[in-house]
Amino acid sequence: MWLEDIGLRYHRRGPWVLRQVTARVAAGEAVVVRGRNGAGKSTLLQLAAGVLRPSRGRVLDRPAVVGWVPERFPADQPFTVDGYLAAMARIASLSPATTERTVQRWVDRLGLGPFRTVRLAQLSKGTAQKVGLAQAVLRPPGLLVLDEPWEGLDAAARELVPQVIDEVLADGGSVLVSDHRGETVRLPGAREWSVADGAVVERAPSGEAAVAVVELEVPVGQLPTTVARLRAEGHHILRVRGPGAPPEATGPGAESASEVAR
Amino acid sequence: MTALVRFRLAGFLRTGRALAPVMAGLLTLGILYGGGRAQPAEAYGVSAVVLFPVLAWQTKILLDVEPDVQRRLALVAVGPAREQAAGLVAAVVAGLGLVAVALVFPWLVGGVAGPSLPGDLSVPAGVALGLWAHLLALPAAVALGALASRVITRSAGYGVAVLTLGTVGVLALGFSGAVAPWLAPPLLPTARALVGPLPGSTALLLTVWALAWAAVVLTGYARVRTRRA
Repeated sequence: MWLEDIGLRYHRRGPWVLRQVTARVAAGEAVVVRGRNGAGKSTLLQLAAGVLRPSRGRVLDRPAVVGWVPERFPADQPFTVDGYLAAMARIASLSPATTERTVQRWVDRLGLGPFRTVRLAQLSKGTAQKVGLAQAVLRPPGLLVLDEPWEGLDAAARELVPQVIDEVLADGGSVLVSDHRGETVRLPGAREWSVADGAVVERAPSGEAAVAVVELEVPVGQLPTTVARLRAEGHHILRVRGPGAPPEATGPGAESASEVAR
Repeated sequence: MTALVRFRLAGFLRTGRALAPVMAGLLTLGILYGGGRAQPAEAYGVSAVVLFPVLAWQTKILLDVEPDVQRRLALVAVGPAREQAAGLVAAVVAGLGLVAVALVFPWLVGGVAGPSLPGDLSVPAGVALGLWAHLLALPAAVALGALASRVITRSAGYGVAVLTLGTVGVLALGFSGAVAPWLAPPLLPTARALVGPLPGSTALLLTVWALAWAAVVLTGYARVRTRRA
């Protein structure tokens, strides 16, 4: 999906919230959108989801099925959890049989079982947020847009968000997610967009630029071959340490049993 | 789209806010038919005029019951055109309910009488003309109510202003000899036409006029909606 030279303002003579934003999200790709409060994160996400129409520019190749998890779920509605999700599934053109199965699956997965017959208005914020997440994925989306999806969720549900995202990515979908609390460390490999002053800047992908140190234990006999193989795979050997060797000994030939690869 | 229409009707009926326009409609009809017996066609013509603001108000309530974010969720699910159409269809369905009440009500309270003089219309013909008059009022009322809805007016004050202006327009521009009568839907002209025999050409003109008025206002609604989700 392409965002092509997009500008947006909410009123005809109002200030530009976003101007000249050009960005691309490929299939199977996740993007984390960062920015300060009021920078335009939600606006950008709503443009991508198709909620807002750009005042200038266009959005190209948006997938047919879009799931949008709004920042705050609109709980002020006279429906039960079950009734609401079933209605949203039908609105997303699922058949009655599929609707029942799909709603059941997501209710179980998100731990909404005890709340099935509870009215939306009586749900806690976190539980309502789960309903907001469920309605977005009832029909597997080609584009999933999540606005602060971790807000108010309990520990178990927090773990579930990256799982849901991974499933969408594995099916060839794209994911846009905003986050201001650093929860997106759970999404290694995601690209990162930074929104500021009406512009979107791509930051170095955290998954590739960031490095980690791995300590391995290797039988002494296999050390030369292991080191050679790791080097051949492009890893950077920091040092090799043997049982008798001094800690700073390096090099593939050293009589060492452990090494540090980067 | 049917699913979204049903969802919105359910949301409207379950909040209890549906009760207000129904009560207002019954009250208006009660006052209208309290005076004595009239010929059905003539009475229905006036009934369509007085129900016009009630139908518009009901449309505004129906569209406004849904939270803004939920409307946007529906938009993401079905696309902007069908999202808008579903709201209008739901309003028409709710309006048909009120129209049905308006057609039955006078018979329950004895507000209308069958033909007594030579030249009076038969009861089925009178009811058919009454249905026609109400069906002319309905699209115009739905269009006005849509234009007064929160997504367009953004504030309760402007919403009420749009409803009031539309209703006053219907009355002020509806008298014979009014300047620019086509600025309002032809409710009073229809009521006048139903007093005597109704020529086919007049019926056709009034129908086209009412539908064209609704179409113009709905086009305005759709245009504003392209900028406001």
